[in-house]
Amino acid sequence: MAELRTDLPRVLAILASSDVCDRVEVPAGSALLRVAPNEAMLVGTDDADGVRADVPGATLVEVVSDAWTSLVLEGHDASEAFARVSELRVPEAGWLQGEVAAAAAKVIVEAGRITILVPANLVAHVEERIRADAAEVLIR
Amino acid sequence: MGSIEFESRPVTFRPGDTVASALYRHGVRTFSRSLKYHRRRGLYCGTGDCPNCSMTVDGQPAVRTCTVRCAEGMRVDRAGGWPNAERDLLHVTDRLHRVMPVGFYYKTFVRPRFAWAVAERVIRRATGLGALPSTASAERKVVRHVHVDTLVIGAGLAGLEATREAAADGSVLVCDEGRAARSAAPGPAPDPIGELRTAVASLEHVTLLDEATALGVYEGLHVPLARASELVHVYPSRVVVATGATEEHGVFPGNDLPGVMLGRAAAALAGPHGVRPGDRAVVVVRTEEGVQHLQTLIDAGVEVVATAVSPALVQRVPEGAGEIVPGSDVLEARGGSSLRSVVLRRDGRGKRFECDLLVLSLGLVPRDGLARMAIPDEDVTVVGDAALGVGNSGLGGLDGTVCLCEDVSVHDLEQAWDEGFRNAELLKRYTTTTMGPCQGAMCGRALSCFAVSRDATPAPSPVAPRTTARPPARPVTLETLAAGVHEIVDRRTSLNELHVAAGARLDRSGGWLRPFSYGDWREEYRAVRERVSLMDVGTLGKFTIAGPGAGDLVDRLFPCRTGDLEPGRTRYVLTLDDAGYVMDDGLLARVGENEWFLTTTSGGAGRADARLRNLADRLGLDAHVLDRTAQWGAINVAGPNARDLLERLTDDAIDAASVRYPGFADLSVAGVPCRAIRTGFVGELAFELHHPRRRGPELWAALVDAGRDWDLMPHGLDALELLRLEKGHVYIGQDTMPDDTPAKLGMAWAVDMSKRWFVGKRALERMAELPMARRHVGLEFSDRPEDTADLRGEPLLLGDAVVGRVTSAERSIVLDRAIGLGWVRAVDGGSPDRLRTGSGATASVVTTPFYDPDGGRMRG
Repeated sequence: MAELRTDLPRVLAILASSDVCDRVEVPAGSALLRVAPNEAMLVGTDDADGVRADVPGATLVEVVSDAWTSLVLEGHDASEAFARVSELRVPEAGWLQGEVAAAAAKVIVEAGRITILVPANLVAHVEERIRADAAEVLIR
Repeated sequence: MGSIEFESRPVTFRPGDTVASALYRHGVRTFSRSLKYHRRRGLYCGTGDCPNCSMTVDGQPAVRTCTVRCAEGMRVDRAGGWPNAERDLLHVTDRLHRVMPVGFYYKTFVRPRFAWAVAERVIRRATGLGALPSTASAERKVVRHVHVDTLVIGAGLAGLEATREAAADGSVLVCDEGRAARSAAPGPAPDPIGELRTAVASLEHVTLLDEATALGVYEGLHVPLARASELVHVYPSRVVVATGATEEHGVFPGNDLPGVMLGRAAAALAGPHGVRPGDRAVVVVRTEEGVQHLQTLIDAGVEVVATAVSPALVQRVPEGAGEIVPGSDVLEARGGSSLRSVVLRRDGRGKRFECDLLVLSLGLVPRDGLARMAIPDEDVTVVGDAALGVGNSGLGGLDGTVCLCEDVSVHDLEQAWDEGFRNAELLKRYTTTTMGPCQGAMCGRALSCFAVSRDATPAPSPVAPRTTARPPARPVTLETLAAGVHEIVDRRTSLNELHVAAGARLDRSGGWLRPFSYGDWREEYRAVRERVSLMDVGTLGKFTIAGPGAGDLVDRLFPCRTGDLEPGRTRYVLTLDDAGYVMDDGLLARVGENEWFLTTTSGGAGRADARLRNLADRLGLDAHVLDRTAQWGAINVAGPNARDLLERLTDDAIDAASVRYPGFADLSVAGVPCRAIRTGFVGELAFELHHPRRRGPELWAALVDAGRDWDLMPHGLDALELLRLEKGHVYIGQDTMPDDTPAKLGMAWAVDMSKRWFVGKRALERMAELPMARRHVGLEFSDRPEDTADLRGEPLLLGDAVVGRVTSAERSIVLDRAIGLGWVRAVDGGSPDRLRTGSGATASVVTTPFYDPDGGRMRG
């Protein structure tokens, strides 16, 4: 079975040239998502000042936590539950982006846990779909 | 023993019975009526390939009853036939071949034109495979996505062997349709399959998926599998097609009479189901498997009166096979409601045998449709009987039914050939052969053989050409196709729950769930015009555009001047496409030297994001786009007391000089950081407070609380419709046409043609040389004071000619008159100003805005 919970993540948006994005240091417990050559997301921190200090050439470093809500699937059947709403191939670990229940999402995969970052205005829809389509593998 | 209900009568069944075997034991011989000529159709293939045994089972039409196990209380009905399938008066159509030749609907009822409309209705009632359920399915099918290294389609011997090999290289999913097991047909003996299946199932990385039907092989690779309760999308690196083979369909006159049966069907009845398929049989044996079928029939006590056998198999024919006729063909099957006799060719002449059963074991035809759907470069292999070739052994008979699904005979193919449709693909399209539910499983080979046999080229292909295979390979229910379709994806603002709690009527608009009204929209309207009100506008698209190239980007994208915009000021902008047509509108704010903020319509955010990024990339600009639509909420505080309300919640200066119109300022309102943008959409003093989404409920509550003195109430889209209409503001999409230019909308003021370059400029320059074909105008209506809203969508008439259309209409509360917007076509080089609507109201063209034309209230 798997457990589904929502979480309010801390997220930084970094808009910068590719080489500046390459220099971003990832704080412990955070994940760097290079969503485009000149754009990165740092998930797990809201220390915008720290990042600005690290990469002075960035055009914009800003806390965008409000834009995202996390849906976290945890447990043995986390992958099975995810497979009910997305065709994305889940790696052993890492991150990917694509469609989850018809919403554009970022997906971070760790051992036994899948974190789906969904635009906050779509989280109700995505959560409803996961709960309905993966009901048999979710802990109620 | 159990019981099913067959056409309101009880029919008992035994354990292991299929619906077809139970009905056959009960004496049913006519299982269906053919699609076009209403010929009787009896049990034929027994493997779920042909359409003959299709019935309505528990309300679901077109179910192959030979592959469905009986269940207690199951309701079974034959489809087709009037008044019923047993006594079908529409069988008269079988005598009307001359008036309904193949392709008749291309030729008959074409003139007069109304004739087809009538004929189509009659034809639809007279044909078909049953009626779709009129009520929705109680359960929504779920979807699962599976990634595997190898997908094996088919769990027979070949499929299981392939699975064992593939399991050494990675994960394997085996799709077992289960038809063979359910119909319990002999062939490959079930025990070896069972043992192999057990061995394979115990292998690591192997998953067996029972009762799963592969619908198609799509590029990618992608194979959807339909199951009773789910649709499984499989994304394999490799596909192995092991779907076996069907028995060859025999083509000769009378080949579709009840009593003519393929070997596997007869053997399944006589063997596992313990039903004698007939009393006196003629058997045609051309395969080793056919010898087994013959033995099974003899063992079951069927009197075999004659066996037509291939010379190579004569020595294998068992005792009790009647008269042995080596190398013989069936010339004809005769009968009325069922088979009475068979004529075999013997010594160059026909010999007739009285019988009620003709069993055909003619050979195997690969069930390889799925493999033929794959594009050449993809890793799809075919194993087992599915890999058999389709030889060009000729069609056989001179007439007979080729396509059981679509009721196409050899005669029909001859006629189509004579009309010029001279290859298998053309014959298929013209006659619809192979296009029925069996998708060519029965008739595909026969069609190809026919085409080759008529081919006059010196050396026709020794291999029969196959027609294109397309999904779905098997019939599929609509609910299966709909599984996983997210037909409604609603975005919600952070205030959604507050709206629900306030009793708002929520509905969909621009991809969002939005409040239309909280009760009385007229009261909400008055709150805006007379006091102060709130509206949740968090749905607006919101973007930051930053970087050294940001100024160039907005200047290139928008048709108005942008370079002269000072920080803190805003400007209304149109977005054009390359053809100069209006796609969207919004407000552009300059935040700093290299930073801009843009709002767009609620439905236009996604496109705006893509467009900004595309243009930056195309022009090589060092500009970045941050979509804040999900990050920021927005609340519009509107009404004459809007500033008074905000003053109660902020220490920042918000007087007209501090937050100018049009302009913005970053404020703290009730402790929430806000970007307050002065707007004029509703025509009153208004501040759009853009704020961090998570703090939206807190800000809304503070505003509501602070506004109690003014009897503050929020307003929804219903009130907004009139508020913006009184100001003459268009809704892009509702009021505009896809080819509206700024000039047509009366918005040439929003375009600076002196700019060197912007998206759509060249097109506008060219169109400026053309006369204005249509323009958008303000309208005032008379004669229809009360139901003005109904005028929306009505045509605008000049005399009897339609010259325009009403796009918006309401009765203005503050002006006490009926107003609207619409487009009017140029007539004789001018624009008419007095028109009539389709329902008879008089419409006069007037200037807009209707309300507060000098804008004094919103500038406040």
